[in-house]
Amino acid sequence: MKKTVKRAAVVYVLIAFFLVGVGILTAQFIMHGSDWATNKVNGHIYSNGTVVNAGTISDRNGRILAESKNNKRVFINTSATMRKAILHIVGDTSGVISTGTHNLYRSNLSGYNIMDGILNLKRNGTGSAIQLNIDCEANRIAYDALGNYNGTLIVCNYKTGELLCSVSKPAYDVNYVPRDLRTNPAYDGVFLDKSVSGQYTPGSIMKIITAASAIENIPDIDSRTFECTGEYQTGDGKVICNGVHGKINFRQALNQSCNCAFAQISIELGADKLLETAKSLGFNRHLKAKEVPLTMSRFHPSKETKTELGWAGIGQSTTYINPTHFLAIMNAIANGGTGYSPDRIATMGILGDVVGRMPETLVKMNPATAAKLKAMLRSNVVDKYGDWNFPGLEMCGKTGTAEIDGKKSTSVFAGFSSKDSLPLAVVCIAEEAGWGSGTAMKASNTVLQYFLKNYE
Amino acid sequence: MTKSKENKKQPEFRQITVMVLISIFQLICAAFVISREKEASENLIFIFFGYIAFEWLYMMFNVIITGKDYFELEAIAFFLSGIGLTVCATFSEAYAIKQLVAIGLGLIAYLAITLLIRDVRVAGMLRYPAAIGSLILLAVNIALAKVTNGALNWLDFGVFSIQPSELVKVAFVLVGAASLDKLLSNTSLTKYILFSLGCVGFLFLMRDFGTALIFFFTFILIAYMRSGDIKTIAIICVGAFIGAALIIAFKPYVANRFAAYRHIWENMDTIGYQQTRTLIYSSSGGLFGLGIGEGKLRNVFAASTDLVFGVICEEMGIATGIAVLIAFAFIGIFAVRAAKGSASSFYAIAAVAAAGMLIFQLSLNVFGITDLLPLTGVTLPFISRGGSSMICSWGLLAYIRAAGAPFRLPAPDVEIARRRRGGGAA
Repeated sequence: MKKTVKRAAVVYVLIAFFLVGVGILTAQFIMHGSDWATNKVNGHIYSNGTVVNAGTISDRNGRILAESKNNKRVFINTSATMRKAILHIVGDTSGVISTGTHNLYRSNLSGYNIMDGILNLKRNGTGSAIQLNIDCEANRIAYDALGNYNGTLIVCNYKTGELLCSVSKPAYDVNYVPRDLRTNPAYDGVFLDKSVSGQYTPGSIMKIITAASAIENIPDIDSRTFECTGEYQTGDGKVICNGVHGKINFRQALNQSCNCAFAQISIELGADKLLETAKSLGFNRHLKAKEVPLTMSRFHPSKETKTELGWAGIGQSTTYINPTHFLAIMNAIANGGTGYSPDRIATMGILGDVVGRMPETLVKMNPATAAKLKAMLRSNVVDKYGDWNFPGLEMCGKTGTAEIDGKKSTSVFAGFSSKDSLPLAVVCIAEEAGWGSGTAMKASNTVLQYFLKNYE
Repeated sequence: MTKSKENKKQPEFRQITVMVLISIFQLICAAFVISREKEASENLIFIFFGYIAFEWLYMMFNVIITGKDYFELEAIAFFLSGIGLTVCATFSEAYAIKQLVAIGLGLIAYLAITLLIRDVRVAGMLRYPAAIGSLILLAVNIALAKVTNGALNWLDFGVFSIQPSELVKVAFVLVGAASLDKLLSNTSLTKYILFSLGCVGFLFLMRDFGTALIFFFTFILIAYMRSGDIKTIAIICVGAFIGAALIIAFKPYVANRFAAYRHIWENMDTIGYQQTRTLIYSSSGGLFGLGIGEGKLRNVFAASTDLVFGVICEEMGIATGIAVLIAFAFIGIFAVRAAKGSASSFYAIAAVAAAGMLIFQLSLNVFGITDLLPLTGVTLPFISRGGSSMICSWGLLAYIRAAGAPFRLPAPDVEIARRRRGGGAA
């Protein structure tokens, strides 16, 4: 009898197991509650998979881009172009554009917190508001500036990391969704925000990375001269140049975007050193710009053939860049080596807003290297493209023309204004638009002129 | 005997305090439910106030009969049943009325069992009819049952339907505790093992794996209580595990029933539907809930039965959900205390088995619908809508009460009093 009674304590063991289970369950609610509560099948927030009740999304000037009214999601009503221009940054209501604010920040928009769950949303039909750093007017201008070309244009304050403009094309008007959205080839890639989910052959803007590696690994690079005859014999093939540049130095090689010189530099550096520099600047890594996951920038210089290595160093071959990542590299060059993450969020209505959103470093560069590159990029504009292309901006930058088999070249521009009063960096990619000094450079200038007029 | 001293130390008003707190909670629930409609439903008012009044009457009756401050178990059961009643009332009046009747039947079963097994000899005599009755009931069930939700565990009588396996649970504890109370003779052990195998076997045929598991667990618990032999228990468990593996090898549909386990998010709209919705809506409720009747989980199949814990979390908050779980832990603690002060090993075994069964079933339910364990489709004791489950829950509670503080009639039975002393000295 006594023994039997003692054994009753086995229930305590059972209770202990049970309480461990309760503990795990509670921990799961704390860790995953926000994900779970904002799942697309949650009927409090979504209806048939589309957001109906969520917080207001506004731009930096307080213009409302999307809000909930009477169980419906309403978008800015100024124009169809405006809705297209903000589509990818705000996101569609179904969350198909996964990096859109609607999807990525759905937990914040729902107003979810562990204490109240989504009670506020349930009561008022709206969750917490989000203010973006984006200027929707700049977005509209950028959208127009890209003209008929697809691609992306992003502008960021390199001193603070604020993302002021972010456009991706093609886009559609959420109020009049085209019936052939999923079938018409003209809408290929419409659900991707190309600024964060895009991968592009960089073309000559990759020479910035090669130059960075040369500055750090070849001590006498500034006193070197290169002979350009229009093509460079690597030993196992040749790299063709965009012109015949004759005898040029390092700076002039970047000005002229000389393939011969940069192929030669790449081969001298070797695949390992080039790769080391690229990696240190964030290539081949899964990066996040704050909460936004970026598609990986890829750089795999060939170790087998010198020709392939040469092409990799000038941005062709199998190299890909992510536009936002490249914008952060621009930020680093412009900002003395510290490249902040482009951040779309101004405030999210949470406790952290009291201290403000802290800038986060995405790309780190040796300050001396950054300073040298800055001077070279400035020289590009002064000595090659011409300051008249960027009135009042004191622009630094590099164009790129990415050749893609069977298609017209991609026009690429990456740069920044070196004015203290206008600390803005820009990356623009216009698909099948031809020379980098064409559409991409012109569109970049158009948008920066808007900021020059309204922000300086 | 130290127990009565303890009880004397307790302040007199404690029972009233507990009742007042429970009543306040239930009045708030009632207010929420009734105020949902523009015109307050008279029936619902009667149901809630009837329930609360009934609790008070029962408490007073309890004081007169036992003359002691021993009310914790019933208080917990009333609290839990009240939450179940609230959930039912937000679904429909008909559900609420049925649930109120179920609570009544449960309480009757509770009192009847407590009174019946006051005398341990009666319990001993009851074990044969209980065992044979159980097996017949399960056999009839298999012969006549209709398939409900993949398991053949219902008997439909038109006006009402019962789930025989729930009633058999109560008998199972009685048979186990009474058989093994005797000195462990081989025949009584063999008979009990055969009975257990019969029950589990029938449940397997009904494809009610959750309940089969509960029976197996309780069998292990009772065997441990009697023998204390961890080795034997381990051998039985390994044997059962091999058996289960063989069943899965030859009858793959058994494994398919559990295919969703840990893969619910990949199968959100098929086999993981109930679990994902439970998690999504439970977390929507936060700590304090979205308001009674305001939830969306209620639209999911089996919301008021298997998924009721999720409904509680969504509408009354995860805090309430956790309070419910902790309440069950207290039932377990009371069971140990009761077993330690009990008059004979029969009561100790029965109390432990009953508490173990309740907590194990609770775990299968709550952790099953939240994907910490495979989903087996068992009910949440005291709370899930349904008469059989309610009767079973209260019936099991009776064993704990009987061990801790058996009801004594105002004129004590001399025979029983003597036995209790004898038991205590053994």
